[in-house]
Amino acid sequence: MRDVYIIGTGEHPWGKFKDRNFVQLGEVAVAQALKDASTDWKDIGAIMSSILIYGGNAGHLSGQYIESMFGETGVPVVNVYNACATGSAAMRMAYNSIAAGETDTTLAIGVDFSPEGFLGAKSDDPRQDRDVIRWRMTGMPNPTYWALECRKRFEKYGDTPEDLADIKVLLSQFGVKNPNARYQKLFTKEGVLNSPMVCDPLRLFEICATSDGAAAVILTADPEKIKAAKNPVKIEATTMGSAIYGDPTIRISAVSAPAKAEAPMLSESYSASQQAYKKSGIGPEDVDVLELPDNSSWHYLQYLETCGFCGEGEAHKMLREGQTQVGGKVVVNPSGGFSSFGEAIGAQAIWQVVECSDQLRGRAGERQVPNCKVAMAQTYGLMGNSGTTIMTI
Amino acid sequence: MQTMDTVEGKEPRLPDLFCWTDDGFRLKSAKCNDCGSYFFPGYHPQHRPGCKRENVEDVLLSPKGKLDTYTIQHYMCPPPFKTDHEIAPYGIGLVEFPEGIRIAGIIMETDLDSLELGMEMEVFDYPLYKDEDGNDVVTWAFRSVK
Ligand SMILES: [Zn+2]
Repeated sequence: MRDVYIIGTGEHPWGKFKDRNFVQLGEVAVAQALKDASTDWKDIGAIMSSILIYGGNAGHLSGQYIESMFGETGVPVVNVYNACATGSAAMRMAYNSIAAGETDTTLAIGVDFSPEGFLGAKSDDPRQDRDVIRWRMTGMPNPTYWALECRKRFEKYGDTPEDLADIKVLLSQFGVKNPNARYQKLFTKEGVLNSPMVCDPLRLFEICATSDGAAAVILTADPEKIKAAKNPVKIEATTMGSAIYGDPTIRISAVSAPAKAEAPMLSESYSASQQAYKKSGIGPEDVDVLELPDNSSWHYLQYLETCGFCGEGEAHKMLREGQTQVGGKVVVNPSGGFSSFGEAIGAQAIWQVVECSDQLRGRAGERQVPNCKVAMAQTYGLMGNSGTTIMTI
Repeated sequence: MQTMDTVEGKEPRLPDLFCWTDDGFRLKSAKCNDCGSYFFPGYHPQHRPGCKRENVEDVLLSPKGKLDTYTIQHYMCPPPFKTDHEIAPYGIGLVEFPEGIRIAGIIMETDLDSLELGMEMEVFDYPLYKDEDGNDVVTWAFRSVK
């Protein structure tokens, strides 16, 4: 297997863009990545693209649409969907294609245009889509699942509403420093604790919004391109995991879970991160910057444990001791996180890689974490879907 | 035990998830006698890896379980959830049944301030809305055991 490097990245700012379409967002991200990589479009040997599930034919074949804008070259174009870990799947395919020697230089692209409000059921057949059952019978939007787990943490470990609010405040402090963030507003603890209760114990400002956005990464094993690149980022591992039997998490779209835990919580993310640690020989203790999927403040706490940054039930201690801030054990979400960006399903995993890469290349502006050498991007998708990418400079 | 998929004046919003018996309302599950897993819905098998998957039987869950965790939802769930009643804020709970499976559902007919993890809950049929024929369209719900 060959070593694979990131030599260029691009990112369209996150937001809601009613007067634009997803292909236009993708075009911006890809053009920026090509320029950053000093790479000609004709050098792209394959395109691994996220699927935009709400975009009809164009969305399902988004890689082809983007290819056609820059000029069709006949290269392999694969469109992939793995829920919120979609971008991880595109990254992994791009990496494997290069590492195996199939291509030298590959584009991984993620674009998303989210519908307004809640992400509802997409079929009406309960026999093949459990999503239908949870929407019609139990009335459980996604945050309900997180609230159920969060309440349990409170009881088991003593996390408090103040911890949840502090997380939002911390993330907003990074978010105001990121020009690509959708929300560049500083929050106070009082402001968060006074925001409307959505599903107790989660409040409105402790749950991320849905956004539109695009991110692109150019990966290569071409020695000349790596040599010519400014601060190329080495991909140490990019993995995916699915759930493990006996995972006690009440998983989004399910209406049941086993009573007895026989696997770790969020076992898909446990699996993806453990695979990445094993493959790279890098452990959580080596990671300087972690971009984790903060769909809610609960995720922030849970992911520190799931990915082994602390022991079970210790995440709030890490938080309270400042171990997740600059100067602590690991800087968590210096991008501002989903809290400042909002989710853009097909794009967010690649966006996390772009943010990590910017930190490693020392070009993260005001939010730059000093001396960042190892960064990790961790995703979470529904129904047992996760990806981990570990990068070094 | 006699089981019925509908009873007079009541229609399930989705079929095959629960039934009425001469011993009350019950959730329908399935059990794999090879690997010991319970499924809900019963038609969505989730076997232990390596299971032979040959001996699955339909079973009914016990009428009562313990509240594993809950949330209080402060807004109405958007469609396709549908009810004629002004239920928000309402509870949603995860109830652990003695068979070894936890099931999610709305919590009704219970003082939300009294909710505590571990408390005993029972399953019952909750009327969401009326169909054109005047039948109650029902789902399963949980309430505390008095
Ligand atoms: Zn089995």
